[in-house]
Amino acid sequence: MARMTRRDFLKASGSAAFAVSGLAGCASMGGAPTATTTPSELMPTTGRRVIVVGGGWAGATAAKYVRMEDPSLEVVLIEPNRKFISCPFSNLVLSGVRSIGSLTFGYNGLREQHGVKILHESATAIEPDTRRVRLDRGFLSYERLIVAPGIDFQTEQIEGLAAAGDRVLHAWKAGPQTVALARQLKEMPDGGVFVMSVPPAAYRCPPGPYERACQVAWYLKTRKPRAKLIVLDANQNVISKTALFRAAWQAYPNLEYRASSKVVKVDPEAREVTTEFGDKVRYDVVNVIPPQRAGAIAVQADLVGVDKRWCEVDHVTYESVKAKNVHVIGDSTIGIPVPKSGTIANAMGKIAATAVVNLINGRPAPQMPPANVCYSWVSDSEAMAVVNAYRIDNGKVVQIEQKLTPGQSTLYAQHATAWATSIWADILA
Amino acid sequence: MRALVIAAALAAAAPAAAGPIDAPGFTKAFSCSACHGRAGATRADAVPSLAGMPAWYLKKAIDDYAAGRRPSPEMEPFSKMVKTLGVDEVAGYFAAQPREASQIKVDRTAVVNGRAASATCAACHGEDGRGDAAKGTPDLTGQPPGYLLNQMKLFKAEKRSPGDATLTSIKVFMKSLDDATLADLAAYYSSLGR
Ligand SMILES: Cc1cc2nc3c(=O)[nH]c(=O)nc-3n(C[C@H](O)[C@H](O)[C@H](O)COP(=O)(O)OP(=O)(O)OC[C@H]3O[C@@H](n4cnc5c(N)ncnc54)[C@H](O)[C@@H]3O)c2cc1C
Ligand code: HEC
Ligand code: HEC
Repeated sequence: MARMTRRDFLKASGSAAFAVSGLAGCASMGGAPTATTTPSELMPTTGRRVIVVGGGWAGATAAKYVRMEDPSLEVVLIEPNRKFISCPFSNLVLSGVRSIGSLTFGYNGLREQHGVKILHESATAIEPDTRRVRLDRGFLSYERLIVAPGIDFQTEQIEGLAAAGDRVLHAWKAGPQTVALARQLKEMPDGGVFVMSVPPAAYRCPPGPYERACQVAWYLKTRKPRAKLIVLDANQNVISKTALFRAAWQAYPNLEYRASSKVVKVDPEAREVTTEFGDKVRYDVVNVIPPQRAGAIAVQADLVGVDKRWCEVDHVTYESVKAKNVHVIGDSTIGIPVPKSGTIANAMGKIAATAVVNLINGRPAPQMPPANVCYSWVSDSEAMAVVNAYRIDNGKVVQIEQKLTPGQSTLYAQHATAWATSIWADILA
Repeated sequence: MRALVIAAALAAAAPAAAGPIDAPGFTKAFSCSACHGRAGATRADAVPSLAGMPAWYLKKAIDDYAAGRRPSPEMEPFSKMVKTLGVDEVAGYFAAQPREASQIKVDRTAVVNGRAASATCAACHGEDGRGDAAKGTPDLTGQPPGYLLNQMKLFKAEKRSPGDATLTSIKVFMKSLDDATLADLAAYYSSLGR
């Protein structure tokens, strides 16, 4: 909430415009800074503008494809991070199989190849009635808005988590936390206990926690043979690729899996977590993946449903059921029978871009079903996958088929690498 | 401001909505780029390029995957999806894209050795490796070496189109070659058309 406080302060003190002098990008386009209390349109536009909030898997794809499909549209992407760091493959950073650098990319491709205008800031509010997005220092008008803020954590659901700060890591948004958790794992003594918690569904990347368990177990097996991993799962069973993960774990006797063990409390002083049934588990290193909901901006803009967690959308256009001209894509959405995956986020980016371009040009949006694949690495060299194909039936996405690889192999690991190479380029190049 | 200059240039150069949205088949083929690269021109090693692939061969592959004749846990569901969307439009879309040779590095010695071992292959795939619709053989040139090698190993292990009598002779032939020779052949065919 530091951001809100700062904005409120600046607004109150009437110096919002000063706060931005020195900011790069298009900050100067709003005209000369004036000491006014009413924030102004930051970048006046004569053309037709699409704004994208969030430059992750869904939003960056959407920004690129809107420009590719209709270069006469102006696209402004609002994303606070200057670098794109891939969550997919970031579990391999924990095991030391990949470096974080190999998962880090810039936004130059979007800017230079596709003419996307990028503001490295956070959107602070969405106003569908006036078709405006607010930033700290003013607002931007749009014709259509694409909201793709990913997920945020329901930290309040776990006692002690907020107060623990950086002492208890999630590493569920790839970046500094991923690197810090990798370091903690490396520094853990042989014979130590690594505890990780899996949140209740729905959360980002259903197989992700189990892939992480494989990577941590593989690392411990090869580097710290006396150490052990305890997985505390809030769900009743492994919720994705169940049989495949169970089979893969045969190779990891150092991995102890406990179902129906929702973590409700963490105590970094005692180095202990508590499950909802009162079991206390001591740790040397802990990784709490908290329960999740749509990115804060979507919650704040009331794009979420009665659960106050996720956003319901039209299955063809991805327009919010709650706000006109506002499309929501990626992990923030719910109700379409697809997993919260990067592959799906990328597909939604393309579909929403196509819908937006057509609608702005007065044409109906075509029916485009998404497609999904999620690869999971079970060791340093082997992977497996779940694949989902869909069709659109009466305006709703329905699954045609789900298929699993028959097991894990180095061939699927090659396919996983090919997928990553291709999809990163599809998003950013 | 560089981005703005480029943006303006793009806006001036292109009429409204002249992007892939108007390319016939794009709205049915858009999801393939997640693995096969932009417009099917792969940058990766283990998946094939689809750009410029003759429609007859792409359609046969989709049919074989969808029916489970050519086992692939990834391509089977997507092939069923393609069939519900309309395989002709998808095949037409990729056939119309410019073929781009793989950029994956190949070893020069391997290329030379592969060429020397390729005489029998040429009988079916053509002297230039570009394939022949009449013989049912695909264009091998410029495909990524990793993909070509994997496919040859799958033939050899009777895992690509197992039990397909029309492919018996090629599998017998692959079985007579060691994996190092297959890798040389993959490097050779990948290097063609670069
Ligand atoms: C460990 C791990 C492994 C995974 N592995 C896989 C995998 O192998 N395959 C797969 O398909 N998926 C995988 N996923 C899931 C995948 O990462 C997500 O599904 C995907 O990132 C969702 O895309 P998104 O655009 O919705 O969210 P994100 O990619 O998180 O992007 C959201 C963006 O919005 C920005 N943002 C948020 N709020 C604002 C605001 N107010 N203003 C401006 N910008 C804002 C954020 O900075 C962020 O960049 C994995 C996830 C994790 C954590
Ligand atoms: C998850 C990644 C992925 C996606 C998405 C994907 N493919 Fe594939 N594709 C593969 C892999 C891996 C192979 C190699 C499979 C094998 O061993 O036969 C392949 C092979 C193919 C082949 C065979 C080419 C040849 O030379 O024999 C065709 C055709 C094909 N894909 C078409 C498509 C189309 C069309 C789409 C989109 C509807 C698509 N693919 C989407 C991964 C993917
Ligand atoms: C008897 C004819 C014949 C010979 C000889 C032959 N091939 Fe083929 N090859 C085929 C046919 C037919 C196919 C397509 C199979 C299908 O439809 O699935 C094929 C497919 C392939 C493929 C898969 C390409 C793709 O895109 O998936 C590779 C790689 C290949 N051949 C390499 C070779 C090499 C290398 C040789 C020589 C060592 C060789 N072939 C010899 C007939 C032949």
